[in-house]
Amino acid sequence: MELLDRYLQAIEFWLPKRQRQDIIAELSEDLRSQIEEKETELGRKLEDAEVEAILKRCGSPLAVASRYRSQQYLIGPTLFPIYRFVLAVLLIGCVVPRFLIWLAFLLVDPGHRGYLHMENLWVTVLYFAFFTTLAFAIAERSGVKLEALDTWNPRKLPPARDPNRILRFGSLLEIAAALVFNVWFVSLFRPRPVIDLYGAQLTLAPEWRIFFWSFLLLAAANIAIAGVNLFRPYWTRLRASLRLVADGLGAGLFCGLLKAQVLVGIGASSLPAPQAVELTNLINRWMARTLPWAIVTTLVILGFDVYRIMRLRCVHRHSGSIGPAVNDLSNPMVNGN
Amino acid sequence: MSQSNGNHDLFENLRLELRRGCLSLAVLSQLRTERYGYTLRKALAEQGLEIDEGTLYPLLRRLESQGLLTSVWREEEKRNKRFYRLSPEGKLMLKQLGAEWQRINSSLNGIL
Repeated sequence: MELLDRYLQAIEFWLPKRQRQDIIAELSEDLRSQIEEKETELGRKLEDAEVEAILKRCGSPLAVASRYRSQQYLIGPTLFPIYRFVLAVLLIGCVVPRFLIWLAFLLVDPGHRGYLHMENLWVTVLYFAFFTTLAFAIAERSGVKLEALDTWNPRKLPPARDPNRILRFGSLLEIAAALVFNVWFVSLFRPRPVIDLYGAQLTLAPEWRIFFWSFLLLAAANIAIAGVNLFRPYWTRLRASLRLVADGLGAGLFCGLLKAQVLVGIGASSLPAPQAVELTNLINRWMARTLPWAIVTTLVILGFDVYRIMRLRCVHRHSGSIGPAVNDLSNPMVNGN
Repeated sequence: MSQSNGNHDLFENLRLELRRGCLSLAVLSQLRTERYGYTLRKALAEQGLEIDEGTLYPLLRRLESQGLLTSVWREEEKRNKRFYRLSPEGKLMLKQLGAEWQRINSSLNGIL
């Protein structure tokens, strides 16, 4: 019975202390009964290989012992979704501002190495993750009961969201902002030999005329799309594609403007000529330097536009997936607008 | 091949899930009369419900801690054995669970 004793001892190690003796006595009795019954059946003592087969069928010591313990969690299924949400918010709140600062310094002052190393960011992230996990594990152990689980009310839940619905307020804001900006833009930057900008005289290259009219035309197109969105507040594939084209053209024009070095000269009564030249060159250099970041931003915007179109294609294919929109007769996607 | 393994694993998981609740009912029903673990396993196996020791003993402990079983250590055939039987609460629970089982069974028979 040496094998059996070794097996029981291995199980005992993993059992809760208080119940060890009791469990081992009962399990031992069962296994001895099985062995005895087999021996009676065969009319001889069992060989080690036969005992081994019985023990193997019973399961590994750790697996057998684990069945006597109740399921244990560091963070249980009720608290876990909240834990994951809090962890994500904290980590994003910790990483994103640092990344933006890093980006700003890289753009404005790459020589300032102090802000460019990110090593201590990972230490901060680990601290956040550790203490958040610890706090939730303590809450789980202390049996914190969420009041919201008992007092929730369906009427207080947030309204169902439809990702393809366009907020009218958003469209109105877009139109108003575009009108104000374009009035300002036209009044100050309309092409002429010398542009007076709050006392400073800017001389722009002839290419500015092309950029100016293109920007204005694009602004008009954007206002038109926002106008349609105001009265038909659901994205359709046509409008989403138009928005993609408009954003692509706008971004292309902006990148072209940064590269074109349209600023020929600056003049001001208080600015000596050599400094004016230096300032002109400096502004042109900065515009050229921001070009890669403008391209990155462009790609992000275009990526979002493409995602919107893909989402609409998906909704079109599985038209049951956004219930409120497809059941709404005012929804132009249903009407085919 | 892996699809077939996946299906087999899924079937095994669902089968164990389906069996888990039934085992409690089967064990309670067999403990109307006093038995110890090994004879209880044999009785269930004879009825076509095999249950390994790693599943049975933790289940017996849980049912006892819930007040549905009582147990006593007693010597029999020169060995100490733990004998289990239904407590009064266990008898009531067996009656209720039995009725529930009949209801589910007849519903499923209709559905399947």
